[in-house]
Amino acid sequence: MAGKNEKTDTGKMTFEQTITELTAIVDKIEQGRIPLQDSLQQYERAMALIKHCRTILQQAEKRIEKISEPEDRKQAGQDKE
Amino acid sequence: MKNTGKIYTVTEINTLIKAVLDANLPGRVTVTGQITDWKLHHSGHCYFALKDENSKLPAVMWKSRYNSLKFLPENGLAVIATGCIEVYVPNGKYQLIADKLQPAGKGALQLAFEQMYEKLRAEGLFNDEYKKPLPPYPQRIGILTSESGAAVQDITNSIHSRWPAVKLLLYPVAVQGEGAAEQIAAALDDVNRRNRQLCLDILIVGRGGGALEDLWAFNEEVLARAIFRSKIPVVSAVGHEIDTTIADLVADVRASTPTKAGVVTVPDMYEVLDRLAVMQRRLAGWAKTALRLAKQHLETVLASEVFRKPFSLVTTRQQLLDETEMRVSNTIRYQLAELGQKVHLLAEQVRRIEPHRLLRECLVTVYNLQNRARMAAQQVIGGCRVTVSTAAGRLAALNPKSVLQRGYSITTNAATGRIVRLLEDAAVADTIITELADENLIESKVTKKQNKAKRS
Repeated sequence: MAGKNEKTDTGKMTFEQTITELTAIVDKIEQGRIPLQDSLQQYERAMALIKHCRTILQQAEKRIEKISEPEDRKQAGQDKE
Repeated sequence: MKNTGKIYTVTEINTLIKAVLDANLPGRVTVTGQITDWKLHHSGHCYFALKDENSKLPAVMWKSRYNSLKFLPENGLAVIATGCIEVYVPNGKYQLIADKLQPAGKGALQLAFEQMYEKLRAEGLFNDEYKKPLPPYPQRIGILTSESGAAVQDITNSIHSRWPAVKLLLYPVAVQGEGAAEQIAAALDDVNRRNRQLCLDILIVGRGGGALEDLWAFNEEVLARAIFRSKIPVVSAVGHEIDTTIADLVADVRASTPTKAGVVTVPDMYEVLDRLAVMQRRLAGWAKTALRLAKQHLETVLASEVFRKPFSLVTTRQQLLDETEMRVSNTIRYQLAELGQKVHLLAEQVRRIEPHRLLRECLVTVYNLQNRARMAAQQVIGGCRVTVSTAAGRLAALNPKSVLQRGYSITTNAATGRIVRLLEDAAVADTIITELADENLIESKVTKKQNKAKRS
């Protein structure tokens, strides 16, 4: 995988996907089952994933939305009244 | 009161009794006893009796009152009934019209809870095998509670303080009072139906603490069944720590209070950040070590003989090759010489063997015999030849041509090829050929023929 693709990939990943992949990379690297060249790439990928995890947590906005009724049903109700 | 001798009709006396009772009994009475003869009529009204060791009191509970009961009355149940005593004039029968019924000893709600618990437990609604696991890092959580209560704040704070990266969606519902359970159940069904758009990972149903009556919606069957039906995992967060509701038991996970909702639904951000930091350190440490090891490895390789004397590898092998080649050719040469020697020795041996000489003697004998045979054959042939030539001489004397030596000749007609013996054997002008002793021929033409016999 090229570096560019990886970067766009992490942007769309959920926290769970990110941390799952990250854990897998750390395990693989620590078991020493990948050649040096690959593992350096994986290392960079892991660092990007860690950054992405932090970004998800930092950018969160503590909001609460109401979902009691779908928009279309509300509209329909108003139309009747 | 003395007997006045007045004769009453049945209706009159029953009506009098009713009047006396109505006048003397308190308007409402509370009676304790055991339920017996319980009958729920299809009209919805209930007919039963209360009894103790010695006596029995018929009782009725009208449909509307019965429907508001939280528990199910049954025979043998000790109850406290409140209502008024009424005389049923058509039958001359008095009975208790109960408008309140509650279990004796424990509260009606407690009993109702136990009954509901037993019913749903028997159906398996609380079984672990139906409990759905919660996703470890939920992204969207739906909260079904009252918009005005404290619970909504407690729940959102408890979640966001641990894990801000989750979207919370509130579905406002009534959490107490008439129809609350139905409303929450409908909300659960609605959210499940719309979850393709809502994409909720977890639903939280809950409310803050209150009296048992206030929490009652969470003990009702309609809500329990809706929770059980939900495809989205449901977390209950009802009341205080000590309150256990039916909803808590059916829910996939129970939060003991709304403030604990966060603990059961989301991870702690600081723990996760710590874990990330640990991972980062491990990775960095690993990368450093890996690079150092690789560098060391490279240095070891560079220090090896191959890189110090790159040609020694080739020259040593060249030498080895040369030596081997020499060894091989020497060996072959030696082996050939040895083989030649062996062949020579064998030939000598063969030559010296006796039968070999005997064979030569035999050949000489054969040769001598051959010669003798040839000579004998020649003698025989010679004898035969003499005999043959003698015979030929004698035979030659008999040859008609031998007379030619004595001056005779043979004349042949050239035309017929026949010997001319008689006059008629040749005509005038015929060519005749005369053969002489030296085998030469004279050709002549007949000019005249003379017939001596005719003449004589």
